Amino acid sequence: MSSQTAQRFTWLAFLFLLPTLLGLLIFRLVPIVGAFVTSFTRWQIFDKPRWIGLDNYINILTSPVAAKVFINTAWFTMIYVPGVIVLALFLAVLLNNSLKISAFFRGAFFLPYITSTVAVTLVWRWIFSTKFGILNNLLIGLGYSDPPAWLADPIWSLPAVAIVSVWKDSGFFMLLLLAGLQTIDPGVYEAARMDGAKRLRQFFDITMPLLSRSLFFVLILALVRSTQTFEITYALTGGGPNGASTTLAYFVYENAFVHFQMGYASALAYLLCFAVGLVTLANFYVRKRWTHE
Amino acid sequence: MNKNITLIALYSVLSLYALLTLSPFIWMLITSFKEPADLFRLPPSFAPTQLFTDAPFANYTSALTERDFSTFFINSLLVAACSASGQALTCALAGYAFAKLPFRGGNILFALVLATAFVPTEVTIIPEYLLMRGLGWIDTFLPLIVPSFLVGSFGTFMLREYFSALPNDYAEAARMDGASNFRIFRDIYLPLSVPALISVFIVAFIHSWDELLRPILYLNSPELYTVPRGLMSLVNEYDSEWTLFMAGSVVSILPLAAIYILGQRYVIQGFVGGGVK
Amino acid sequence: MRTLYFAAGLTLGTAFTAQAADVTLRYMSWDAAQIEREKPAIAAFEAAHPGVKVQTQGLPVKDFWPRLSALAASGDLPDVFTMSSGYIQQWTDAGNLTDLTPYTKDLDLSAYTKSAVETGQINGGLYSLPLSWSGPVLFYNKNMFDAAGLTYPTGAWTWSDFLAAAKKLTVDKNGDGKPDDWGYSVFGRYAQVDGWVYRNGGRYLNKDATKLEPNVEAINTLKFLTNLVLKEKVAPYPKDLQGIRYQDVFPMGMSAMWVDGSWNINNVRTVAGNKFKWGIAEIPKGPDATAETVRAYAWPDMFSVSANSKNKELAFAFIRHMTGETRNATDFLGGTVPAFKAIAAREAWLERDKQPDNKEVILKIGEQNLYTGFSRNWDAWRGYGASGSGGMNGELDEVFNGRKSLDEAVKSFTTYANDALSR
Repeated sequence: MSSQTAQRFTWLAFLFLLPTLLGLLIFRLVPIVGAFVTSFTRWQIFDKPRWIGLDNYINILTSPVAAKVFINTAWFTMIYVPGVIVLALFLAVLLNNSLKISAFFRGAFFLPYITSTVAVTLVWRWIFSTKFGILNNLLIGLGYSDPPAWLADPIWSLPAVAIVSVWKDSGFFMLLLLAGLQTIDPGVYEAARMDGAKRLRQFFDITMPLLSRSLFFVLILALVRSTQTFEITYALTGGGPNGASTTLAYFVYENAFVHFQMGYASALAYLLCFAVGLVTLANFYVRKRWTHE
Repeated sequence: MNKNITLIALYSVLSLYALLTLSPFIWMLITSFKEPADLFRLPPSFAPTQLFTDAPFANYTSALTERDFSTFFINSLLVAACSASGQALTCALAGYAFAKLPFRGGNILFALVLATAFVPTEVTIIPEYLLMRGLGWIDTFLPLIVPSFLVGSFGTFMLREYFSALPNDYAEAARMDGASNFRIFRDIYLPLSVPALISVFIVAFIHSWDELLRPILYLNSPELYTVPRGLMSLVNEYDSEWTLFMAGSVVSILPLAAIYILGQRYVIQGFVGGGVK
Repeated sequence: MRTLYFAAGLTLGTAFTAQAADVTLRYMSWDAAQIEREKPAIAAFEAAHPGVKVQTQGLPVKDFWPRLSALAASGDLPDVFTMSSGYIQQWTDAGNLTDLTPYTKDLDLSAYTKSAVETGQINGGLYSLPLSWSGPVLFYNKNMFDAAGLTYPTGAWTWSDFLAAAKKLTVDKNGDGKPDDWGYSVFGRYAQVDGWVYRNGGRYLNKDATKLEPNVEAINTLKFLTNLVLKEKVAPYPKDLQGIRYQDVFPMGMSAMWVDGSWNINNVRTVAGNKFKWGIAEIPKGPDATAETVRAYAWPDMFSVSANSKNKELAFAFIRHMTGETRNATDFLGGTVPAFKAIAAREAWLERDKQPDNKEVILKIGEQNLYTGFSRNWDAWRGYGASGSGGMNGELDEVFNGRKSLDEAVKSFTTYANDALSR
């Protein structure tokens, strides 16, 4: 668009954005700035805050426990984000039709997202249980005599939490991608079919490029969720064994609401935001080349 | 022939996965019909033991009647419906502005809307609490509704992407015909965005319905409790009433299931471009 | 449609708490079920104080502290709230609690269990009154003891008595070379470990609880518990029990003996039902303990009055009433012991019609020198609640699972703890 048009829309855009701006300024930025200031204090919520400058940040950056948490978070993200997107995309593409059976499947896949986490994790704890779990009994049945203690194993507990999170959220991302698929003109596929393109080719040559905006959106959203996972960790492993599945959101919660180290927790959160911000910026940069505009 | 085999294989995989996704819900259902002693048994029993007693619905009746659950339900419905419809509306406005009304600073503002979602609630909640107290909103629904009514990062993001994917030609054509900018939004682009709007609504509704930390902090009076806050009174220090909790949970996801079933029909409505005259 | 939203929006701001009473006393607890049991006592208090209305609110522990802290930050604390031994030091230091000393002139504090009162005595003031106390005990499965032809554990048991019994109780029933019944189970949590440590004269903290420096007795105890798994093989690796809530291991009949808080009696009753007979005993005394160093591990649950309360005298009258002699023994569930000694002494508290049939064991613990083991930031260095996989708890589980040597674990939790204590 020309710069002339850009000028013309400014007042109109702000009119459209009025509620968002109000909400952003009052209900988002005020608490966020408050939390940022907090990150330079030692504040136990029920006590008076005390200014300690950069101590929280220094403490975090030199602590082996915090370092492990950052590594865990990155590892979790690497499993969760691709996992949930590939699964959701697979489901969305297969179920993007008006068949009755597809409606049933869509409902079934969405159900974990609304089912209470407590109920969900009770079932998964049983699946992963060392001695009585169906998973290990299956493995033993297949002749694998010494299966791991999934949730109590330093290597497996984090992937287990990630897998359950993928499973729980995939229906949600499927729904978002389904909405995106609605913008694709079926005529495009018809033309391709005439050209004799195979289904798989259609998917990579047509669906993926046309869905790139939605995919990008889902990618950012998955990134956010991967840094904010708390409930499943809490109910499944409690962050264990010995912190092996403690990711940042969980660590922030522990420090904020178990140890009441609000300043420390805030500093953690801002370091996280800084890291995620960089990743997101990189994503936006990459997208300029990647998406179909 | 070959195609049929692929299809059968595909549907078998889907069915297996559906079984896996349905099982926790079935488990919840079974648990809600169990006696407390059978709850944590291993290997677990699939018998809904309570169904065979003379009070088969005891968990449900005590979960729903011992506490004022109908009030919690109405409260939750009110809060979730207001938050979600507000969010769908404001996000549509904002998403449209970012996608179709280019203006200076738009990208920075959009980045800001998005970035604020990355700050974990755990650290902003106490400053937020002090803000709400300053506004005199403690023990009302306002802290649960107003912020999400006014701004939703992902709703805005999603609708921005959605509107961007729609061609500009419609607007230009309508503008030629002399339609106002607001009418272009309301009569052309908004109807086209129904699948995305519904998705935003569903997600916002679920999010609001499940919220626990804010009701815990902001609501003092039991007559204002939401469903999750009400369910928390079944979780106790030494003797949590998990079977009642499960019964309450089953009932509490019914509205979410209903919203989803009603909404998803509009999400899958085929290529939206087809509807444009 | 839009008008509907706005109409709905308008009606929302209306708060509707009508207060007919002259004075409202706000009381908040971490146990909603406890409040239910307290209803008659609260009604009695209101009857004795015309014009006073008590407004109650109960929340699970996990949510109670965040809310109470938020209320403290905004200066809106309820008049009365439950207080734990783990947090009282910090809450007192922060100036949130009222010194109750001026109100106690006509109150005989010796009517309460001594150490439970002492927990509330900080810097020469009294910042809480104890409601109840509890501590870990040794649970034992009578059926398994009978089958092995063993006599039941007593408070006189030594570690070698315990080990000998545990060996006999560990049985490989199906001959696959792996035990099916275990003599004992270990777990790194405070309730499962620290009772052993203190009964051996062990301490983790220095005298003024500012630094973690586990003494030899403490290390020896940890070694003993580790050996139960790795060397003697009378207890399974904790990881093998993953998937079962730790408090269910004993009531599910998987382990003949088990140490857990006395409050867990209630859960054992629920989960074990009538499947087997069981009893409780004191944790065996360690070989390093002397009469001066031996301690029983126990801690109170208390009530405190907000420093901002406008009705401090009334609030104190309320907690005095709630902890005092008018309460019923049956208001105290399972193994929680009323801090008011006369109530605990009542026959009704012993619940002779239920298992275990020897609850007096807990009362005997209360007569000994008790130790709470708390310090500032205890929850962080010990690994409590949601942080249960961290701190000492997490490290000890690694040791019990055979993944880390005890020396290494001690080194790393000591460093971590002293960092937490310095904050």
